[in-house]
Amino acid sequence: MRSTTKYLFILFLLVPLIGCGAHGRYQWSGYDTKMYKHYKNPVEKEEFVQGLKEIIDESEPAGKVPPGIYAEYGYVMFEEGNNQQAIVYYEKEANKWPESRTFMNKLIAMANNRTKIQKENARPAAIPEVDAGKDVPKPTAEVSK
Amino acid sequence: MKRTPLFLLLVIFLILSGCAHREIKLSTQEKFLAAAPRSILIVPVVNNSVDITAADYMLSTLAIPLAERGYYVFPINAVKRVLEDDGLADSSLVHSAPTSKLANLFGADVVLYVIVEQWDAKYAVLTTTTTVAIYYQIRDGKTDDVLWENRVKMVYQPDSGGGGGGGLGGLAAQLVVKAVVAAMEKASPNYMPLARKANANALFHYPGTGIPPGPYANVEKKN
Repeated sequence: MRSTTKYLFILFLLVPLIGCGAHGRYQWSGYDTKMYKHYKNPVEKEEFVQGLKEIIDESEPAGKVPPGIYAEYGYVMFEEGNNQQAIVYYEKEANKWPESRTFMNKLIAMANNRTKIQKENARPAAIPEVDAGKDVPKPTAEVSK
Repeated sequence: MKRTPLFLLLVIFLILSGCAHREIKLSTQEKFLAAAPRSILIVPVVNNSVDITAADYMLSTLAIPLAERGYYVFPINAVKRVLEDDGLADSSLVHSAPTSKLANLFGADVVLYVIVEQWDAKYAVLTTTTTVAIYYQIRDGKTDDVLWENRVKMVYQPDSGGGGGGGLGGLAAQLVVKAVVAAMEKASPNYMPLARKANANALFHYPGTGIPPGPYANVEKKN
């Protein structure tokens, strides 16, 4: 009787391991919960942005950054008007996941395009020389970490 | 020595019943294997339930199981926003667009379409039954062919734990606890765990009704 119980117990331990779905390939840090909270309450945008950053910070050291996360963060950066940071993270996504290259290139083009439009709009007010100096952004400088 | 047959029986039992299998058409499965997709585009969910929040809740649960299955999964929120900007805010419009067009736009190998068919909680004095019924379909980004489909229904009835003492007093106390649990479940039905279970049931039974492991599935074993 006792050994049967033991086996049953072991069986129950094994079922989640063998039978259905291996988890733990990536470190998600509550990605799904963060996402639905954001959809439930879109006003709390900053919480979502921070939440995405958390996932990156927590998963990067172990090399367990889930697919899509760099791009999600890049996109919220884009929405917040930070074109440069957006591109940095789009590039990270594309470098880590070659499958994303087509989409990332489109998003990068969108961000570049907006930068261009913003510059054109800003030009009449800006001093030409200062503006020209800023025309060559160094996207890697801000990111290296 | 005596333990071996018992253990063998358990292993066989595990294989046979650990995950209940249903047969699906081999031709579809063969198509999936032939397509050998690396990336999955998850488009916004169509909601046919009475709960208006169901689609977004469901959408947020889909990336994790598919990525863990070994596929590249496109950023679901960024995809949703880009589609909205392109005038495709209505998910049923997205679902009726040609798969190849969508796949081409994002560079995706296949597209996952999910429809919420049922998403509700029914209150019945002593217990609340929460039900989630989901339809899943994967279509080929080149040929528009259906490569896989599945339909899963999950039902949840909260268990108050029971236990309790004997006698009438104990029974009355149990009933009160049950009624409270039922009322709480009604007040805020816990759909997320059910949705996650539905996904696991739909995707992970393989060979069988689930999908084959993706290209990143083997990477994990090295860790």
